[in-house]
Amino acid sequence: MVAAAAALALCLLPAAAPAAHRAGGTRAACPKAWAKGWLALAKKVQAPVYCPTWMPNPLDGHIGGEWQDIYSIGKDRSYLVGFLYHGEGASGDVHVNFRGYPGRTRIPRCRIVVPISAGKIRNGIGPCFADPRGRTKANGITATVYTVNQDADQWHVLLAWRRAGTLYTVSEHVIRPYNFSHVVKNLDALLRGLVLVRPAR
Amino acid sequence: MRLTRRRLLGSALAGALGGAGIYELVDQLAGTPARAIDAAAAAALPPEQHVLDLGTVTSEGVEVVVPPLHSELVTATLADVGDLAAARHELEQALGRLDAEYAGTAAGLGVTVAWGLPYFERHVAAAWAKHGPLDRRAGKPALLPPRRFPSDPHDTILEDNDVAVLLRSDTLAHVDAARTALFDDLKLFRTTSIRRGFAGGGFAGKTSLPKKMAMAAGVPGADLIPATAELFLGFTSTQKSGLGPRRIASFETLGLVDLRGGYFRNGTHMHVSHIAEDLEAWYLNFDFDERVLTAFAPSLKAPRPDAQTIPQGPQDVSDTARVRRDFRTAGRFGHSGSIQPTSRLQHDVVGPDGTAYPKGTAIPQRADFNTLDNPFAWTSRPERDGFSSDPAAGVHFVVFNPSSDDFERNRLAMDGVFPDGTTLPVGPQSRAQGFNSVLTTTHRQNFLVPPRAHRAFPLAEL
Repeated sequence: MVAAAAALALCLLPAAAPAAHRAGGTRAACPKAWAKGWLALAKKVQAPVYCPTWMPNPLDGHIGGEWQDIYSIGKDRSYLVGFLYHGEGASGDVHVNFRGYPGRTRIPRCRIVVPISAGKIRNGIGPCFADPRGRTKANGITATVYTVNQDADQWHVLLAWRRAGTLYTVSEHVIRPYNFSHVVKNLDALLRGLVLVRPAR
Repeated sequence: MRLTRRRLLGSALAGALGGAGIYELVDQLAGTPARAIDAAAAAALPPEQHVLDLGTVTSEGVEVVVPPLHSELVTATLADVGDLAAARHELEQALGRLDAEYAGTAAGLGVTVAWGLPYFERHVAAAWAKHGPLDRRAGKPALLPPRRFPSDPHDTILEDNDVAVLLRSDTLAHVDAARTALFDDLKLFRTTSIRRGFAGGGFAGKTSLPKKMAMAAGVPGADLIPATAELFLGFTSTQKSGLGPRRIASFETLGLVDLRGGYFRNGTHMHVSHIAEDLEAWYLNFDFDERVLTAFAPSLKAPRPDAQTIPQGPQDVSDTARVRRDFRTAGRFGHSGSIQPTSRLQHDVVGPDGTAYPKGTAIPQRADFNTLDNPFAWTSRPERDGFSSDPAAGVHFVVFNPSSDDFERNRLAMDGVFPDGTTLPVGPQSRAQGFNSVLTTTHRQNFLVPPRAHRAFPLAEL
């Protein structure tokens, strides 16, 4: 547990570029070890997807790897790929989600659950991503920052942008060891490192 | 002075973060507010200690009271004073010197000396039995021991201080001088805690003090506070119609309290609590529309996107039937909407001085202020109080009501429990229950605020 906490403490230092990617103005490719999974995803959803070249410590972007959590593709080809480090005790979590909605640019609607009392809930419907707080621009992408998000992105800060008729998002959970400011910085670093992976023809 | 977080953290001031030093930033981050008040009236100290005329401004078309920049509450137990009558004389002399040195305004200094039940029961028990005010409506003493409420954690600390002194000013040096005069120079008290905080700013479109202070301290969620918010949670809470007018909270005004011999006429009741605020939970889980309905009422719509001052005049007031109806249809109730059935007058009242209080008038006079204390700036019992030097967002909730029971009615209503027997079935920290899901009350105590004439060791002279 101490080791886990120490490892997470290290990730609060300025983000370091991973071995697979160096910034410096040149766009990197999807890291070799991760490319297969992202290419397979692009093929399944029949649309380009974004592969990360940087992830917050200790995560990596290896689909099928140690940290991959959710991998879900809907009938409408929308996808959710999550990466999760679950710290021991109260050391915290690191949780990043990637979404895409091929052929759709509107913000989807989500079921919003309000717990009332033990065993009783009230359902509502609302936007899955809400409370926009400005925009951030990097890597040729202009993304809107959303701070109130639902479902797997609840308690996350989320960046959303549109490309060629598809809505894409990347989000990170605001939870120890990362507060809101850290998460915003991490998301900026993620955005800077995204690489488009097109489905093989 | 412009002070960025980077400059702050790179300066010697960084060493003071988490301690009392951070509050010195209030003077640097905020100019002295202009206050439109009747200077002549303010110069004469009223018989009530709790009355402090603050002046108003218009915010988003609503008249808003301008809170003092600095507030500090010092709690203590009695030292081995021996002769209470002599101690009374000594304290009154010191208070008199403060009165002479500072105008009784926010530009000068507001001093409110309040006494806890332990003082009355341990030190002046016989006189208290004879003169202690009684709440006619509740059939109980007007000053009750503190209690926990349904949404309180099981370990909320119920305090037993003898005395609490509330110091309010736009100038920190005045507050410091008063604390030194009363708690350091005099040897009458053993200080148990010092609680500091701030409020205001932002009314003229400038970045507000709570936003600046939270950013400077780097508390989680600071970035999410709207730039001009009067308080951390983003809404203006000092609109004039939401605060009780001048004398309404005094024991005698509404006729709720039997003053018996009249010793405590012009006095009131003060509840003090510390409430931790989870800003990230508030701003990351509740979108703007949900924050409005959570803070106010489910049937309320903000007048414009990102509004911070939501009109809460007498005509906007909820009653129990509306709260029940909202709960049936929306499955939730708002914070101020749920409290209004008990905190607003249900019918017109004329006070003993002839002042007319129309139906819908607010009764409680709040004097709450945001804080970065965790939970206090200083405590004599750090382990018991869960003290940390890391700054944390919160509020020192200070409110004047005519009695403990009157406060309890309001606080229970906040949990969906109403005097007519209505109990809305919500869990203690449910998101359906207003603010409660992001608030954690750590400490509570009730005090009696005597009239100015008896502010020092009340009943000791009898």
